[in-house]
Amino acid sequence: MKVDVRGEICPYPQIKAVEAMQKAKGGETVELITDHPPSLETVPTQAARLGWTATIQETRPGEWCIHLARPTSQAPAK
Amino acid sequence: MTTIATGQTQQAVPDLRRVVTRALVVALLIVIGLAVAGVDPRLAVFWVFGVTFGFILQRSRFCFASAFRDLFLLRDGRMMKAILGGLAVATIGFALVQYNLTPNLAGGRLPFNAGVVPLGLHLLLGGVLFGVGMVVAGGCTTGSLYRIGEGYVGSMVAVGGMLVGLAFIHFTWNWWWDTYISHLPVVWLPPSLGWGGTMALVLLALAGAAVFIMWVESRAGAFAIVRPASPRQSAADFRGKLRSLLRSVFVQGWPAIVGGVALGGLNVMIYLFERPLGVINEVGRWSEGVLNLVGLPPPPHVGGVGPCAITDAPPTLLTWGLMINGGIILGSFAASVLAGEFRLRVPRQGRRYGQSFVGGILMGYGGGLAAGCTVGGFFSAIPSLGVNGWFFGASLAVGALLGVQIIRRIS
Repeated sequence: MKVDVRGEICPYPQIKAVEAMQKAKGGETVELITDHPPSLETVPTQAARLGWTATIQETRPGEWCIHLARPTSQAPAK
Repeated sequence: MTTIATGQTQQAVPDLRRVVTRALVVALLIVIGLAVAGVDPRLAVFWVFGVTFGFILQRSRFCFASAFRDLFLLRDGRMMKAILGGLAVATIGFALVQYNLTPNLAGGRLPFNAGVVPLGLHLLLGGVLFGVGMVVAGGCTTGSLYRIGEGYVGSMVAVGGMLVGLAFIHFTWNWWWDTYISHLPVVWLPPSLGWGGTMALVLLALAGAAVFIMWVESRAGAFAIVRPASPRQSAADFRGKLRSLLRSVFVQGWPAIVGGVALGGLNVMIYLFERPLGVINEVGRWSEGVLNLVGLPPPPHVGGVGPCAITDAPPTLLTWGLMINGGIILGSFAASVLAGEFRLRVPRQGRRYGQSFVGGILMGYGGGLAAGCTVGGFFSAIPSLGVNGWFFGASLAVGALLGVQIIRRIS
């Protein structure tokens, strides 16, 4: 599931990430595309609360992709 | 568990262009500082404070709005704990500064420029309005200013809303003062509790708040806060270690607590120099400037109180407030560019613009009424050893709670 929250004001990147993780079925992973630096701290925290792992990758200056996955599912391919 | 893929960022921009951009940005800061020093050297000092303020805010992704909001929305107290750390540092520093300014407590005078204002229900109203506004707009006054430096278009709209809210204050402040505020007591603790007693009480209260936050966080389950593992370059040589250090300062985000403590310390230094940090005062002057421009000059103000008083704007353009607020914007801009994070961030949904604008109006009116925002009314007020800072802070929390209910429904 790809969730593009670029341009969103605080705290919608975090809210939408949590919603996506709660909606994800089975081994579905969530790719959060964000340009909001605070979400690099808040989203992994919320992911851990839900039992998910988070991997942050910078895609462009000021833009990141946070790969969210349940530990039981396959690790996201790079 | 969180990992960061260090991976090479797509280098679309050649290295030379990046170096030149960064050098130009730093040069801009220096040039402005020198130009301002030519007018008044004290302004240049405020400029340095402002730029430092903005730099620290951007690097640590500091956010007063998120501190209150995320307690209720995400049960995450990380930012609030950082603020408490800053308050503790500043409390100790401010007590010493105030002792130096007013060693004789029997005189019945407040230390010069202390963030202590009349205590009354207008602080509750102002705090609630401001709390709702900052959550709805996605950032408080300071947050909006430094995010403008990062390229957030929504924050520009929020500041626009603040100008409108403050315009309403300009026309209603005198009524508030005459009817209510001028009759209120000003409660500053040291005369009753002594210096040591006051400091002990304030620090104890801050510790109590920290424990409360721990409790709030524990109610959400997973207690531990996840820190993304920073890419550890196990550098053996000095150059490698230095490079790693520079990266952690200029490129990677700072832990919030580092920002909080640094800001607390910065506040002490600026109070030592002249006055505690205050942000909304200057935005109030901008609002007055706009009102004058459109031919709607507000009446002269009565009753200035505290460091962020709504007073008549001095006719000069260059004030300490402009150095601080302008410094926040450009310091954050520089930090963002140096970290390679600057980008224009444009909200795609129309309703976000409305949120930012309305939130700004609420912040402008609430902060103007309380004669201080999250900085002047709270971050500088609690360390000033008065009671108003706590009252305003509690009101901010109430407002933030309401704001969270609102933003949940606007998703």
